[in-house]
Amino acid sequence: MAVNGFWRRLTRLDRIIVMLLFALCILLFIAVGMRPPGRSVRVTAEGATLFTAPLERDRTAELTGPLGTTRMEIRDGKVRIVSSPCPYKVCIGMGDISHAGEIIACVPNRLLVQILGDEAEGKGPGYDLLSR
Amino acid sequence: MTRATATLLLLAALLLAITLLPPREPEGPLIRTRLLMGTVVEIRIEDTESARYDAAVTAAFAEMAAIERRMSPHLPQSEISRIAAATGTVGLSADTAEVLQLAHDVAEASNGAFDATLGQLIRLWGFAEGEPRLPTEEEIAAALAGDGASRLMIADGRVAKVVAPLAIDLGGIAKGYAIDRAVSVLAAAGVRHASVNAGGDMRLLGDRSGRPWRVGIRHPRKSGDILATLQLAGKAVVTSGDYERVFELDGVRYHHILDPRTGYPARGCQAVTVVADRAALADAVATAVFVLGPGKGLALLESMPDLEGVIVAADGNVSVTPGLRGVLEWP
Repeated sequence: MAVNGFWRRLTRLDRIIVMLLFALCILLFIAVGMRPPGRSVRVTAEGATLFTAPLERDRTAELTGPLGTTRMEIRDGKVRIVSSPCPYKVCIGMGDISHAGEIIACVPNRLLVQILGDEAEGKGPGYDLLSR
Repeated sequence: MTRATATLLLLAALLLAITLLPPREPEGPLIRTRLLMGTVVEIRIEDTESARYDAAVTAAFAEMAAIERRMSPHLPQSEISRIAAATGTVGLSADTAEVLQLAHDVAEASNGAFDATLGQLIRLWGFAEGEPRLPTEEEIAAALAGDGASRLMIADGRVAKVVAPLAIDLGGIAKGYAIDRAVSVLAAAGVRHASVNAGGDMRLLGDRSGRPWRVGIRHPRKSGDILATLQLAGKAVVTSGDYERVFELDGVRYHHILDPRTGYPARGCQAVTVVADRAALADAVATAVFVLGPGKGLALLESMPDLEGVIVAADGNVSVTPGLRGVLEWP
């Protein structure tokens, strides 16, 4: 057979290299497949995305709305608003969010902060929508 | 290196590259969110190839924004602001006339428990502005003297106030109406499975692609917990609760659902969830039932066709209309 012929023409070292490479492929395939999808934060204004970032790295972001600049902080996988030009600071009072689907809304400055990711089947809260 | 080795190495490199390529996202629902009517509005399309309905979702949001521009009491150019400022009759758009007529019907059916003419009283309490305060008894009496659904006359697309200071607030109905209109826009574009959720008030279009939607009802006293779950298709679900906008003064909690008869927060219920065909009706009736309290509230739900509901009384007792018993799941 062609494959057998192919294999016989390789040196011993060639065979070891090829087998190692295939083993590496299989291991990587398994590792990539098992990795949970990373959570990230997305900020939108009037439906347009202003900012996205994974939650793994700490950082702050300055987001501009009609009232001015809202400062958002990502720290230890959690997102919160640290300063805002809105009158009643409801967005700051909403505290930390870190789970997929959680939202901080700053209605006066028209900003919507959402956590995305890890919405895989079985991890949900048992309902599709929440009436409140 | 032989030619065979080179070929195999190339093959291995190719495999490696394929492995490391980002996986193709499986096509899921189309979910878009906007800030409208002072709340977070989420539209979710569950049809196959949901991405092709992106323009329909944009149009549905635009429809809701147009309704907000007409019916918000906070925008000086809205029809509601024009009515507040007017002394004579005011011409209405078909939308606003329809909402005012529905508000009038629910006010009549509930014996005034739902009242869209509480604009002055609502402004007095300051819940909408985010700076609530306890008004004096004199202030409340003065505001109530100028309010009342019977003091508003609607005919042939025009509205007239019997008393000049009367102000309309459609807070208990306009959001539901906007949800209904968004659903109509989606349905006209061919969408068959969708939800429009405005801050917890929602309407479902069809089922969730082969199974009913599961709608959790928030527990009124345990934030983060579910009171019950409804399995529904093609219905509107609206909840009015005493936990949404609250302040406390001298050990007394004051919430935003005001009783038009007293001018103070209604005390009969913790929460009311209404299931109806239209979100505008569910929205207004949820407020009316909350104000009426569990006994009269349940009677109102049972007296109107195609209305169902769950009432959590002030003492925590839960009553459910018979039509919901098959679709309600307790935790």
